[in-house]
Amino acid sequence: MKKFYAKIIVKMKPTVKDIKGLTVKNAVESFMPIENLSCNVGSVYFLEFDANNEGEALHMVEKIAQEILSNEVIETYEIKALEEV
Amino acid sequence: MSKLKVGIIVFLGTNCEQDTKRACDFFGWDSEFIWQDEKIEKNYDLIFIPGGFSYGDHVSSGRIAKLSPAVKSLPVGKSLIVGICNGFQVLCEAKLLPGALIDNQNIKFISKVSELNFQNEIINLPIAHHQGNYTCENIDKTQVLMTYKNNENGSDLSIAGIYDKQNKIIGMMPHPERAIYEELGLTDGRKVFKFVKNQI
Repeated sequence: MKKFYAKIIVKMKPTVKDIKGLTVKNAVESFMPIENLSCNVGSVYFLEFDANNEGEALHMVEKIAQEILSNEVIETYEIKALEEV
Repeated sequence: MSKLKVGIIVFLGTNCEQDTKRACDFFGWDSEFIWQDEKIEKNYDLIFIPGGFSYGDHVSSGRIAKLSPAVKSLPVGKSLIVGICNGFQVLCEAKLLPGALIDNQNIKFISKVSELNFQNEIINLPIAHHQGNYTCENIDKTQVLMTYKNNENGSDLSIAGIYDKQNKIIGMMPHPERAIYEELGLTDGRKVFKFVKNQI
């Protein structure tokens, strides 16, 4: 077994209103002059786990991201990093 | 005539199970609690997934609860399943109902009595939620059961509750179980419970 590290980012789908992002955007714009600001609020998940190989590790991370970390109806996920530690 | 047999699922963080049980008592239904880790094997006429903050709403409301043995063993299509508030969120997360509940439009927790369109009349039921904003691509309008008169949370088409008749699953954000007793000033919840009973 090998030890793996993964970093997953989950955000609202572009077609779904990101209300938190809009709130932060409004707050920043009232705080300082800033041009063409867009803001999305999401979640970052850091996982460390054991797997036999990178293929298995990727499959596990995909499953976790799809079933628990995100809801495909309203969110997207991106595996930002997956590496053997 | 035998009493209606009702199961009320309880998760860590559920807090409306007692009110739901008392509402069942009011109507003379025979109800019992189902712990999250139990596989549902009894034949219930009706199963409630009550309100609260299952698993602390961690990750997202209802996201962890959908993985529980109780939810995974829901007798879909056999018992009538009714999700209230967090229960509605669980059913959507479990893909047993379409759509999802996201943050309220005003990004605040809303706690008030809401006017709702239900069965061709206006009823008053309490709402208390932070993620009650219903969103769904390709909404099937025949499934819309209840709408907000003033759409406090920004839901698509002001939807407050939906009903999948084919699979016998109802989900609603308002709390009918909190509007049963005259002493509390609201009794329109009785209309929802009567409707539920008529679907069995």
